[in-house]
Amino acid sequence: MDTQSYLPLQPGVGMEENFLSLDDILLSHERLPIRTECSFPRLGYLEKSTDAQDIPEGTKMELPLWLSKGLYEKKRRVLSVELPKVYREGWRTVFNADPNVVDLHKMGPYYYGLGSQMLHFDSPENPEIAQTLLQTFIGRFRRNMDSSQNAYNEDTSALVERLDCLEKALFTSGQSGLNGFQSWEKGRASQLTASSLVLNYRKRKMADVPP
Amino acid sequence: MDPSEVEFLAEKETVKIIPNFSLDKIYLIGGDLGPFNPGLPVDVPVWLALNLKQRQKCRIVPPAWMDVEKLEEIRELERKEDTFAPVPSPYYMELTKLLLNYASDNIPKADEIRTLVKDIWDTRIAKLRLSADSFISQLEAHAKLDNLTLMEINTIRAFLLDSLNCMYKLRSNLQPGSSKGQFTDY
Amino acid sequence: MFCEKVIELIRELHRMSDGQLPAFNEDGLRQVLQEMEALYEQNQTDVNEAKSEGRADLIPSIKLRHCCLLRNQRCVTAYCYDRLLRIRSLRWEYGSVLPANVRFHMCAEEVQWFSQYKKSLASFMRSLGGGEGLDLTQDMKPPKSLYIEVRCLKDHGEFEIDDGTVILLKKNSQHFLPRWKCEQLIRQGVLEHVVS
Repeated sequence: MDTQSYLPLQPGVGMEENFLSLDDILLSHERLPIRTECSFPRLGYLEKSTDAQDIPEGTKMELPLWLSKGLYEKKRRVLSVELPKVYREGWRTVFNADPNVVDLHKMGPYYYGLGSQMLHFDSPENPEIAQTLLQTFIGRFRRNMDSSQNAYNEDTSALVERLDCLEKALFTSGQSGLNGFQSWEKGRASQLTASSLVLNYRKRKMADVPP
Repeated sequence: MDPSEVEFLAEKETVKIIPNFSLDKIYLIGGDLGPFNPGLPVDVPVWLALNLKQRQKCRIVPPAWMDVEKLEEIRELERKEDTFAPVPSPYYMELTKLLLNYASDNIPKADEIRTLVKDIWDTRIAKLRLSADSFISQLEAHAKLDNLTLMEINTIRAFLLDSLNCMYKLRSNLQPGSSKGQFTDY
Repeated sequence: MFCEKVIELIRELHRMSDGQLPAFNEDGLRQVLQEMEALYEQNQTDVNEAKSEGRADLIPSIKLRHCCLLRNQRCVTAYCYDRLLRIRSLRWEYGSVLPANVRFHMCAEEVQWFSQYKKSLASFMRSLGGGEGLDLTQDMKPPKSLYIEVRCLKDHGEFEIDDGTVILLKKNSQHFLPRWKCEQLIRQGVLEHVVS
């Protein structure tokens, strides 16, 4: 198994983000449909559909998650956030019926991460959303584990394509455990190997310089 | 852990050898070795046994459990029971590989032993996955790891711990207000 | 929308998930800082106006810009921090001397940080083992033997081993060498460990 000395910061997964995690920064860049509940003077140029100077109250637009979180207040109505379709009741029913048929990559790719973040916004549906997230994870666990620990090196790419970011990370850690064991079995565990980082650099250098 | 580190730990287990040379007792930090007398069995750590064997200085006596009949019994028990049956050695997998690779001429029916141990391993790994799945699906908080060996745990450790961590986070979503700071991340 | 530029910086790093270090994006970073400056100045103006003319209706916009400032700050910090993680790992993967094409991608401050990291690691390793020193970058895997069989993957010139013998590392030549002498060259892809 190749030991990597670069270990990126892990995402926070739940309601709390990990401040410096690149994954969480990209997750919080996801756009949410919102409706302004007050006017934002002198920011009209952010809303491309009008030439007005202000963003008036009642405008429907999309804002990234981080900004929606920053502006949202429980006591004062500044904006209201609409629940993305995947977390609404219609889809929740589908997830609860059979979580394995859903293409979470297409639906996400931050299905669990974004779902957990949505709980920051007051909604009567929050308990059901949280419940569905958990049940979906549990329901898909077996498939995810079996394919990541698949000893027969079957082609799992079709399945991996349908995984959410979080599941994909789990899949990778499952694979590295299995690969480590397999290379030990073949007697290659004690072999010293070149750093994969060094090799990747060399590949890139070759690609940069045309022959 | 890297499997090569697990193997390193396994090499500290002792095994009986019959040396063909003589040497007085040697005193090392990790313990005393020897004395060695031609034809007289002596217990040594596996790493030394393999080194001597490679230099044709000894014959290795396989551990008592490394025997077709005994392993067949273990395999049957493992297949019958739902829980993990006791293993003959906490390093059964590693020792089998090491001894069969370097000293197969000292071990009767080496090939059959290799297959049997692999069968036992496969059965146990299948059980391990099954129990990991029921652990997750029944939202358990703790599990007994009785009779599992280090190498077995090691193959699934990263995956299982990461999964449990995710599940913990998703479960704490169910208790609103459990997160302390509000909207501190922009 | 604000804070789009800084996301490009983050994406640059995220794309290279294996730990490679992309070129330090000085231009991108400058643009982010310019955006922050503009946000700050606009907010100063609005805050003054809100205070002097009692225009409370400006507050939501002030808050929005403030969020953007904090967001930019978070992303820039994360960008620099992740780069440091990568630079630190280069010390372990390459050794203390980096090839020019890698060094080329660092900014002056990063080069300085790298050399300080190198120094503190070296003095830590010297202090280990009762003053004898211990090279922590050696024996990343438990060694099986003192000597190992290696094959040269490219010409590397002359190479001196413990007893003073000098051998020529020529492409495709095979040698039996002390393991500790080879480990770093193997990691760098100069030698290949041959296991029988």
